[in-house]
Amino acid sequence: MSKSKQLTYFQALTELEQIIAEIEAEKTDIDVLAEKVKRAAYLITFCKGRLRSTGEEIRKILNDIEDKTGAGEAIEREIDL
Amino acid sequence: MVRTRSAYTLHELNAIIKSTISYAFPDAFWVIAEIAEAKCNQRGHCYLDLVEKEDEAIIAQLKATIWAYEYRRLSQKFQGTTGESLKPGMKIMLLVVITFHEVYGLSLNVKDIDPAYTLGEMALRKREVIERLKREGIADRNKGLALPMVPQKIAVISSPTAAGYEDFFRQLDENPYGYTFVHILFPALMQGQESEKSILSALDTIRSARGLFDVVVIIRGGGSAIDLSCFDGYALASQIAQFPLPVITGIGHEKDDTVSDIVAHTKMKTPTAVAEFLISGVRSFEERIMDIHGRMSVCVEGSLKDWHYRLNTLVQRLAIAPLRTASADGRLMILERDLKSHVRQLMHNENNRLMRMEQTVKLLDPAQILRRGYSITRHDREIVKDAARLKKGDVITTMFSHGTITSIVGKSVRGTKGVAREDEQEQTAYVLPGFD
Repeated sequence: MSKSKQLTYFQALTELEQIIAEIEAEKTDIDVLAEKVKRAAYLITFCKGRLRSTGEEIRKILNDIEDKTGAGEAIEREIDL
Repeated sequence: MVRTRSAYTLHELNAIIKSTISYAFPDAFWVIAEIAEAKCNQRGHCYLDLVEKEDEAIIAQLKATIWAYEYRRLSQKFQGTTGESLKPGMKIMLLVVITFHEVYGLSLNVKDIDPAYTLGEMALRKREVIERLKREGIADRNKGLALPMVPQKIAVISSPTAAGYEDFFRQLDENPYGYTFVHILFPALMQGQESEKSILSALDTIRSARGLFDVVVIIRGGGSAIDLSCFDGYALASQIAQFPLPVITGIGHEKDDTVSDIVAHTKMKTPTAVAEFLISGVRSFEERIMDIHGRMSVCVEGSLKDWHYRLNTLVQRLAIAPLRTASADGRLMILERDLKSHVRQLMHNENNRLMRMEQTVKLLDPAQILRRGYSITRHDREIVKDAARLKKGDVITTMFSHGTITSIVGKSVRGTKGVAREDEQEQTAYVLPGFD
């Protein structure tokens, strides 16, 4: 799975649920477990970080809206960035 | 004569019409009509164009007037019951007096309005719109959409000046968990005749950028509860129902749900409640993540404990190995000590044995025996051990510690073996007298 921004919340949660199921189901080898925990920690950090991401994404969306609808100007007047 | 025929002047005619009408309709009466247009002037008078339609074609039309003095009272009463102001498209039941003015013509002077009729009419229309949406199979379409896992990007349709809009984004932006919400306003009129068109155009704009958003929120200031009829219209309701993103309404009213509320994915009462709903959506996602986090911690802790235990066991077993070496050392020391004492003991024992042997040897020495008083007797060079072998007259030689004697046997006594038991008297008897 791609570790870039392409990862969606849905994908992250699905993978996390799969990992926890595997960990809970059997006694995982310590090296495998370490690997899984590492991946899970990455996913959790990714999600939590994205839930609290900064204004960059907002700017990007604004630009996209302007491109797609030409309404960005009107919109930008409404929100003070 | 100027006048060749009998004729009325216009004023005369209108006067006749006026008196005829007032004679024919002396009292006020109730009439049902649809408002085609409603206008209030600066002095507070309200002028209505009333129509009756049949299949969208006007089959009757008449003006009506509500004088300012009446209008203030009537409009309050009407809004209080219906939540609406008088406006085009609305069906009303009016108590009117028919009047005819010589200049302005025929019109109805409104004395009263029955809001209950309009209310029933509105409910009926609402039901009709709902029935139509159901018939078309789109009524539940928006409800069928899955809510986004994390509703973080929000397209907002509202009036930028509405108090409800401010409540909404303040609530979102100041959420206690620090979540980021991207909310972008698509301004629209939320009140008045133009509102339905305005909201529809905002929806169109959002539709063209729908990939950028998770949900659409339609909110309206929580102030007055009037003028919600645009949310009951078929055009808006059907657009909301068919919108490709979940639509959440927070129109801010306590009355019956509007048709838009009914077909929207989720209906909340106020803009603030919509914000809370969105925050709780993000929160529930994070809680799922945190739950997994927690379960993982428990698992990992368990596994680590397990491994720790196993490791500890190993460490303990390893720790025993040097102990074994130590004990070997000890045993060696013990052995060495034992060996030394053994050797000492052995030496001691051997020494004793040697000493005893020496003693024995000493004791057995014939010279020693002779010295202690024993003697050796020989006959024909042989040592005599049995007196019976000797006969009377045999010559025997007896050796003492010092010296030897020769004797002749006089008498022998049988039976006694031991030398010690030999009778001294008998012994003496053997001694040859010549020896004395």
